[in-house]
Amino acid sequence: MDKPSTRQAILVYTLLAIILIVFMMPIYLIVSSSVKPSPIMFQKPPAFIFPVTWEHYVDLFTMRPFAKFIMNSLIVALGSTAFSVFMGSLGAYAISRIRHKRINDVAFWILSMRMFPPIAVVVPYYIIFKTVGLLDTPLALIIVYSTANIPLTVWLMKGFFDEVPTALEEAASVDGYGLVETFWRITLPLAAPGLAVSAVFCFIFSWNEFLFALMLTGSEAQTATVAVMSFWSSDAVQWGRIMAGSFIILIPGVIFVLTCQRWLVRGLTMGSVK
Amino acid sequence: MSAITLRNVVKRYGAVQVVHGVDLTIDEGEFVVLLGPSGCGKTTTLRMVAGLEDVSEGELSIGGRVVNNLAPKDRGVAMVFQNYALYPHMTVRQNMEFALRPMKLEKSVVDKRIADTAEILGLSPLMERRPAQLSGGQRQRVAMGRAMVRTPKVFLFDEPLSNLDAKLRTQVRWEIGKLHQRLGTTVLYVTHDQVEAMTLADKIVIMRDGYVEQVGTPEEVFAHPKTTFVATFIGSPAMNMIDGRIESGRMVAEGISFAIPARYHVSEGQAVTLGIRPSEIKIAASDDAGALDARVEVTEYLGNEALLDLRIGRHEMVAEVPAADRVEPGRTIRVRFNEAALHLFDAQTGKTLAL
Repeated sequence: MDKPSTRQAILVYTLLAIILIVFMMPIYLIVSSSVKPSPIMFQKPPAFIFPVTWEHYVDLFTMRPFAKFIMNSLIVALGSTAFSVFMGSLGAYAISRIRHKRINDVAFWILSMRMFPPIAVVVPYYIIFKTVGLLDTPLALIIVYSTANIPLTVWLMKGFFDEVPTALEEAASVDGYGLVETFWRITLPLAAPGLAVSAVFCFIFSWNEFLFALMLTGSEAQTATVAVMSFWSSDAVQWGRIMAGSFIILIPGVIFVLTCQRWLVRGLTMGSVK
Repeated sequence: MSAITLRNVVKRYGAVQVVHGVDLTIDEGEFVVLLGPSGCGKTTTLRMVAGLEDVSEGELSIGGRVVNNLAPKDRGVAMVFQNYALYPHMTVRQNMEFALRPMKLEKSVVDKRIADTAEILGLSPLMERRPAQLSGGQRQRVAMGRAMVRTPKVFLFDEPLSNLDAKLRTQVRWEIGKLHQRLGTTVLYVTHDQVEAMTLADKIVIMRDGYVEQVGTPEEVFAHPKTTFVATFIGSPAMNMIDGRIESGRMVAEGISFAIPARYHVSEGQAVTLGIRPSEIKIAASDDAGALDARVEVTEYLGNEALLDLRIGRHEMVAEVPAADRVEPGRTIRVRFNEAALHLFDAQTGKTLAL
C-alpha cells in the first residue's frame, strides 16, 4: 500500500474522532453529571465548566451501604466467571475431542440453554430458590448466571481447543503424562486466549445483569446495578447518585478487561507443528 | 530377548479393518523401518506400538511385557512425530525438561542429560528459544532431543524427515543413522521413502493395504523381492514388469522369449510376470544373436547414468546405462537382459516363483 497522503490521514482521524465522540458521550455525561452540583445538572445549555462537587459520591457511600453492594457484585461476577470458565472449559474439551456423530447435537443442546428469554424463567427460579432457602444470597445469582455463562464458554472454548493440535497431547501422553496433566499443562495454556475471552464475556454479563439480580435479591445480596436503580423512586430521581454509582460500576469491568487483554494474543500455537 | 513383538495384530475402525494380522519381531538394538505407500497401515501400526491407538486384536509386547492395555505413558517408549509436536509455549530446554519430569529424576541428572543431548544434537545455542523461533531442521532436532533425553527402551519415528527439504533430509538422515550407532537403542521408523529405509534399516518391513508384504534386510528386499509389489516399490527407477506365459519351458511375452533360470519353479501354460531392473538391461553388440531390438524413445541424462525409455516388441521398459553409452532418441539398438537377474512372479497372486 502507498503511504497515505496527509488528506487521507486527516479524513481518517476526523472519522475516528467522530466515532469516539459518539461512543464516549454517555461516559462523559456519567462522569460530568456525577460531579455536578444538583441545581445545575439539567441547565440548558449544559454547563461544561462548573464547580466540582463530591457530594454524590459521599452520599452514595454514607446514605446506603454501597460498598457492600459493590462487594456483592464482585462476589457474584467473579464467582460465576470462575465457575463458568472452569466447567465450560471441561465441557468444551470433551466436545472438541470426542469423535461421535451426535456430539454436535450435544453442543447445540448446550447452546440452546442460552436461547431462553430470561424473563420466562425468573418466576420458576424465584420459587426454586425460595424453596431451598437461597433467595437473597450471592450463590443464587452465581448459579443463575452460570447457567447462561457455561454454554457461552463451552462454545467459545470449543473453537480454541479445536485449534490445539492433538499431536501435542499425544506427545505429552508418550512423554509420560496422563489425561488430566496433559490438559492442564499443554492444552489449557495453549487455549489461554480463549480463557481470557470467555472470562471477559462471563464477567461483563454477570456484572451488568439486572433482571435476575432485581428479582432474586433483597437487601442482603443486592448487587450494585440494582442498588443504583433504587435511587429512582416514585417521588424523586437522584440523578447525581445514580451517575456516581454508574461511574463506579464502570471501573471494575474496565480493569478486568485490561487485565485479560494481555492474554488476548493470537498465534500461541505457532511453531508447534511443522 | 526381543524388544518389540507383534503377534497377529489387527486394527479396526468400526467395520473397516486397516491392519490385518501383522506379525513382527524386533530385536534389541535393531533399526526396523516400516515402509509402504500412504494408507498402507504403517503409521497405524506405529501408533499402536506407541499406545496412541488401541489394538483391536492380537498381542503386542514391549520388552517381554504385553502392553495392549497399557497407557502410552507406561510403555517406556519415546516418539518423534511427523510434525514434531513441540510444545509451543515452552523453550527448547523446557520442552526437554517437560519430557523428563514424569521420571522424577534429581535436578542435577536432568540438567546433565539435557546438556549432553543438546551437545550431541548441536542444540546448545538454541536452548532458550521457542519452537516458533527455530527453522524446520532445528525443530526436527529438538523433537529428537526431547525423545532422546528420556533414554527410552524404544524410539518410534513417524516420518520424521517428510517436512524437511531434500538437502536437510539427507543430512538429518545421516545424523539419525549415526545416533542409532552411538546409542544402540531399538528403533521403529515409519517412512514412505525407500531411500531412508534402505540407508537406515537393519530390517525393512514393507506394507501394503494393511498387510505385511515382506520382511527382510535391505539387501534381501532389493535382491529377492517376494511379490511384484515389493519388486516395483523398492528400487529407482522401478523394476520393469512384463506379463507373459510359460510355453515349452520358456517365458514368452509378445515379441520376446526367455529361458527360465533354474531357481524358478513354473508349470507349462502358467501366466507369469517377469521383472528386470533397469540396470540389468545392457546395451549389446549389433551382432549379438541373443539380443533384442529396442527402439529408444526418450533419453534422460542423470550425470553418471542415463535412463533410456525403450520399446521392445510391444513392451515399454526403462534401461539404466552409463551416461557415456547413451543413445539419441529415435535410434534402434540391441539390448540384452542379464538373465541371472531376472525375477519371475505368478501373474495371479503376484508372489515370487523362486524355489
